[in-house]
Amino acid sequence: MQPPAIRTSQLTKRYGPLFALDDLDLTVAAGEVFGFLGPNGAGKSTAIRLLLGLARPTAGRAWIFGIDAADVATAHRRIAYVPADVTLWPQLTGAEILELLGATGPGVDRAYRDELVARFELDLSKPARAYSTGNRQKVALVAAFATRAPLLVLDEPTSGLDPLMEREFRRAVAEVRDSGRTVFLSSHQLAEVEAVCDRVGILRAGRLVDVATMPELRRLRRTEVLVRFAGPAPDLTGVEGVDGVQVDGPALRFTLTGPPGPAMRALAAADVTTLTMREPTLEEIFLDYYGESGR
Amino acid sequence: MTISGSPRSGTATAAVTRLALRQVSRGALAVTAVAAGTTAIVVAGYQGTVGGALDAAALAALAENPAIRTLFGEPVALDTAGGFTVWRTGTVLAVLLSVWGLLTTTRVTRGEEESGRWDLLLAGRLTVPAVLGRHLVVLAAAVVLAGTTVGVVLTAAGTPSAGALRYAAGLTLVGLFAVSLALLAAQVMPTRAGASGATLAVLGVGLLARMVGDGIAALGWLRWLSPYGLLALTGAYHDDRLLPLLVLSAAALVPAVAAMALAGRRDLRAGLVTAPAGRPPRRWLLGTVEGFAARRLLRPLAGWSVGIGTYFLLIGLLTVSMTRFLSDNPRFAELAGQAGFAELGSVRGYTATMFALLAAPIGLFAAIRLAEFVAAETDGRLTSLYAQPVSRTRLLAAETLATLAGVAVLLTVAAVTTWLGAYPMDARLPLTAALAGTWNVLPIVLLCLGAGLLAVGWLPRATAAIGALPAVGGFLLQVIADSADLPDQVVAISPFAHLAAVPAESPNWPAALVMTAIAMVAAALGLLNHRRRDLLG
Ligand SMILES: Nc1ncnc2c1ncn2[C@@H]1O[C@H](COP(=O)(O)OP(=O)(O)OP(=O)(O)O)[C@@H](O)[C@H]1O
Ligand SMILES: [Mg+2]
Repeated sequence: MQPPAIRTSQLTKRYGPLFALDDLDLTVAAGEVFGFLGPNGAGKSTAIRLLLGLARPTAGRAWIFGIDAADVATAHRRIAYVPADVTLWPQLTGAEILELLGATGPGVDRAYRDELVARFELDLSKPARAYSTGNRQKVALVAAFATRAPLLVLDEPTSGLDPLMEREFRRAVAEVRDSGRTVFLSSHQLAEVEAVCDRVGILRAGRLVDVATMPELRRLRRTEVLVRFAGPAPDLTGVEGVDGVQVDGPALRFTLTGPPGPAMRALAAADVTTLTMREPTLEEIFLDYYGESGR
Repeated sequence: MTISGSPRSGTATAAVTRLALRQVSRGALAVTAVAAGTTAIVVAGYQGTVGGALDAAALAALAENPAIRTLFGEPVALDTAGGFTVWRTGTVLAVLLSVWGLLTTTRVTRGEEESGRWDLLLAGRLTVPAVLGRHLVVLAAAVVLAGTTVGVVLTAAGTPSAGALRYAAGLTLVGLFAVSLALLAAQVMPTRAGASGATLAVLGVGLLARMVGDGIAALGWLRWLSPYGLLALTGAYHDDRLLPLLVLSAAALVPAVAAMALAGRRDLRAGLVTAPAGRPPRRWLLGTVEGFAARRLLRPLAGWSVGIGTYFLLIGLLTVSMTRFLSDNPRFAELAGQAGFAELGSVRGYTATMFALLAAPIGLFAAIRLAEFVAAETDGRLTSLYAQPVSRTRLLAAETLATLAGVAVLLTVAAVTTWLGAYPMDARLPLTAALAGTWNVLPIVLLCLGAGLLAVGWLPRATAAIGALPAVGGFLLQVIADSADLPDQVVAISPFAHLAAVPAESPNWPAALVMTAIAMVAAALGLLNHRRRDLLG
């Protein structure tokens, strides 16, 4: 059986008294598109730098397709990386940077690279000092997508892209997935994560709080329910899974966690005229996670 | 927003001043300490011993010798402690202060700007000229501090205050000239490196003009065109002239005024001269990390080669006047020996002395290359290469090898240009002797490289300082030791103390081997921890 694309065991990084990453145990299977979420300073970039061997863990270990992440010369043959802020050699042109990264990297599909350059509308003749933030990111993205590396590690790769380029990015991720490769994507763009990721991990204050597939996340989380009724208000006190009840004249709002059975039975006694249930958006789910006490 | 303007912009400029102070103060204190310390030691040493050893005949011979004049300038007023100190340390300190001033100026202005850290600053109500103006004031204050401290040291040592004042003013003005020229270049050139390079080139030509003007009497007027020449023409402790100081003041003022006028007319992060917006790719040397290290080296190496080549061409040409001088003054060798310059009694001795100087710039070259590697790591340029399937050790080794190749080129360039300068005049300096002479300093350069690598591994932010220490620190120690009576154990710390005067003597092989071994141990220790530590940035 193929080893997981990424596996970490009690991976920890301390900066003085601060635990930037605390005991991370994570497995990302080969072929998966994995989203890595968390508020600013949660430790996402730190985790990625540890996976890349750019920083050394205080404790714990990480493996890339079963290879110790500390053995960078071997492990990096399987990784393409886009850092959070891309700095390029200012005097090299885009074409020269792609040439350098292609020649020293894990192998490159030149035809696909040329196609990506066209799709991302990249002007390769400019020296890097003349590129805007988004264009620098596009150079790094094209270089990463065009490699034959089976794992792409992307740290907030679309923070500077416009909506059109964002769409190209999602297409490129889908193509990577179709070719059976793995993507590890750290991002604050929840719509993007929702669109491309199979599974997400949520990091807060250096700790992994949850790992789940998209549907699982939804199921675990609260649904908003709005009930209109005629006659006396239904009594929901003490009903399992019900929270935040607000009575507003002939309307009743509450949130529901878990299976809806008990709440439905309690409502059955009342004269319900309409019942609306709204699934939370991903944003609400994450605001829930991020907002919990102590980042 | 309708917040009243003046109090807000007052606090904003104060904040900019504090920012500039924070970035300049440490270096300013270090330069001041080195300048004041060197001056104090030399002036005290003169009063202790050297003064008595120089008799009238020896002084006359020194004043006549073109080699000595080229090196230290016209020897005037050597019979006074102040005059001797100025002659012995004036050029060295002026070069130190002006190079520090220029590098600091481009670093805290264009460097900060290119890193994007000024975007936030300038998003407020401050304009580019306003921010530059605050930085200029702080940089000027730093230079004034160094110059004044030297003057205070000389006065405290009991030398006449008129001379101390002239010299301190001259030294300060040379530093101000460098700062103001660098500020102008930073407005004009497309990049920070370009601005540093252009200013360095002007200062280099200025030093050259000073050397030629002092060495060849007919070309003495050249000194009026050079900040270092003007400093010498001031004749501190001798005739205390005022006109050169006035010329220097004007030379320092004009570029600063021009810089402030131009500052508002350019885009942020760009000079008035803009780089071309696009070009076809040049794909050579992009295939391997070793090739890429070589490619990044080529441009700076070309600059260094031109600089070093020009100097040593001049040195070669001067060997001729040296030969003539020696045959005209048969007693010189003896006299020079009495005054502590025994090695200057022959052409080979003279070139050997000049070749020993080579260790300082080439050691600095090696340290700067490694510091630039660390800078690329810190600002993230190297991140994409560190993420490639290439071990860290291979990346650093590639950089080291490229630097070593650059060192070999520079040593060879110095030898060939010296030989070319001397050959047409038949100065009896074969190419092999010149090569032996320049390559003789290789162990000191290796020490710089080793120290630099040690720093890259353990204290990366101090790479430039630690890497330059063996050559620059050793050289300063040697200058001090030549003029003051230091204990032998202290002098022995300087690698220059273990350098044989090749081609006048044969190389000191045991010392060369020991230095090389130390360098290799330091390099190995550095590489070891570079592999293990966190990357910066
Ligand atoms: N080199 C360092 N030295 C000290 N502290 C650091 C260093 N790098 C990161 N940290 C700290 O570690 C914590 C995690 O930082 P990290 O960059 O991993 O966050 P992040 O999740 O990527 O945040 P963002 O979403 O803003 O990119 C932060 O508190 C940060 O200040
Ligand atoms: Mg981050």
